[in-house]
Amino acid sequence: MTTVESPRTAADTATNRQVVSSELLAEEPHGSSRIDATDVTCWFGKRKVLERCSLSMEPGKVTALIGPSGCGKSTFLRSLNRMHELVPVAAIAGTIELDGVDIYSEEMSPTEVRSRIGMVFQKPNPFPAMSIADNVLAGLGLSGMSHEDPKALVEQCLRRAGLWAEVSDRLDEGGMSLSGGQQQRLCIARALAVHPDVLLMDEPCSALDPISTRVIEQTIRELCEEITIVIVTHNMQQAQRVSDTCAFFLVESIGDPGRIVEAGPTAQVFENPSDPRTYDYVTGQFG
Amino acid sequence: MSLLDERPLDETPVPDAQDQEPIEEQVPFRPRALVRSERVELMLAVASGVTGSAVMCLLFDWTHPLTFAIWALLLFLGSTYLLARDSQSPIVATDRLVTTLVWTSGGIAVSVLLWMLGYVVVKGIAGLNFEYLTSDLSKVGPLDEGGGVFHALVGTLEQMLIASVLSIPIAILTAVYLHEIHGRLSGIVRFVIDAMSGLPSIVAGLFIYTVWVLQGRGPSGLAAGLALAILMIPTVTRTAEEMLKTIDDGLRESALALGAPQWRSVMQVVLPTARSGLITASILGIARAVGETAPVLLTAFGSSSINWSPVNGPQADLPLYIYQLLRQPNPAQIARAWSGALVLVLLVLILFVLARVIGERGARVRGGSR
Repeated sequence: MTTVESPRTAADTATNRQVVSSELLAEEPHGSSRIDATDVTCWFGKRKVLERCSLSMEPGKVTALIGPSGCGKSTFLRSLNRMHELVPVAAIAGTIELDGVDIYSEEMSPTEVRSRIGMVFQKPNPFPAMSIADNVLAGLGLSGMSHEDPKALVEQCLRRAGLWAEVSDRLDEGGMSLSGGQQQRLCIARALAVHPDVLLMDEPCSALDPISTRVIEQTIRELCEEITIVIVTHNMQQAQRVSDTCAFFLVESIGDPGRIVEAGPTAQVFENPSDPRTYDYVTGQFG
Repeated sequence: MSLLDERPLDETPVPDAQDQEPIEEQVPFRPRALVRSERVELMLAVASGVTGSAVMCLLFDWTHPLTFAIWALLLFLGSTYLLARDSQSPIVATDRLVTTLVWTSGGIAVSVLLWMLGYVVVKGIAGLNFEYLTSDLSKVGPLDEGGGVFHALVGTLEQMLIASVLSIPIAILTAVYLHEIHGRLSGIVRFVIDAMSGLPSIVAGLFIYTVWVLQGRGPSGLAAGLALAILMIPTVTRTAEEMLKTIDDGLRESALALGAPQWRSVMQVVLPTARSGLITASILGIARAVGETAPVLLTAFGSSSINWSPVNGPQADLPLYIYQLLRQPNPAQIARAWSGALVLVLLVLILFVLARVIGERGARVRGGSR
């Protein structure tokens, strides 16, 4: 899987990128894409929070970002779909390529990047003014797209997010009437409705109970066949359960920026880490 | 789930559990309710306040009921403290004094409002009938019976409509500029809006009088609407901004993460979520403007006959109608003014209820139960 490059990547480098990106919008569903981050450094004002992080997120795989709080995992994740720059003083260096196209280049607008790289946040946040069905479809209206059969799209996305059975008889109720775990799956369905190539998840289960967490983990495993997933998690068992690849972030000493200490196949990172600091963290002997 | 089912319920035994042993009915008690000794102390404090104040009024020959009420209140608070200190401790007594003070303050605020409303109703209800609501003052002599408020009601409604249409969209978009766009001029705009909210209403009236009425356009309902719009903008802007602040940033981020440009995020997510709050902001603005007399006096001039056209000729409105009639010497005119005040109060009440209903219905249909 990892060695087979998608045809799009080949076409991307061969032909005009503008043509490729409009071609991408035409075909649906997209299937998965790869993200290559090279030497990414992030600042908030003058404070450097992340230094020279390089990581490849392979198509159709789940990549987990682990590490203690404040080590820059979320900042790294948010730089992948240009959410980092929403903070007025934020700055960034390095390149991030989506299928070979730099997402910070002029060919890509932030809105295009974000509709191709979706995001699910830590706190479930359905739009309160919308019904369940409207929440799923919100992304279409928000990004100026349309769909010939909205009802079918709602069902498809809710099924993929593992929520259809629970809400199929009350699609007109408000999104806030659902439980926390259901709300989070609704947010996943909402992110899926715009057919992203990549889905970023920022601690999607940290506010949820173990049963809801398990359902969402199942959803992640099912989704990763068709979509590339990057997930930030504090829960190391979760990283082991859901991810194929794992990157360990660490701040060496207070005031330093976060760096990637080790990245590789999840089994290797957890069972046979090459760096002693990774070993200490994954075996719980940290600090 | 099974844990939940097996947990014994505190108050009501499971009604259909026939196979179980009958569970003895539990008697609930409310730990925060007043116990008997506290009730006795409360009654004692009330009694001492009332009798003490009555004695003082007799001794010093005070006759005004307000004097009696104030002294009764002070003595009541004092004896509440002393009784609690005697029976419990100074700490408990202070706690009870503060609690009583808070309750009484709320009570005073409500009773002053009810007193005022009651006064308006009592004074105005006699003259309020169908004829009063549907006729104007054009054919009524100074001492005649009859006549009504219709022309002022029409004027108020037209002027408020004009002022709302002009000011509410500007105010809400300004709030969006201040809180959503965070534009470079936010600081200056906020300063100007704050300064405007302290603007005396007569100055707004004078401004429109000079730049509009005196420029050959003459008095009109439109001119009054312009002056009132100036007064509404700061109130609605600041309240709307506060309402936008209550919207979770996560919603904005989610909208942007779905590939939305910012204007779509504002139009489709932020404003609909803040809908009920924005209606409240608008109503507060209208409530500020609907009672204004001075700017209307300078811009619409007032009138005693019906003028349907808001763009042409002098027009009356309710506060002006009340003001002008109250200054007349004969009782028939003054009675009409009171009825006008009642109509004004009812109008504001209807607007408030209407806005609540619209806001709530929107929230229930779209937002679901919570």
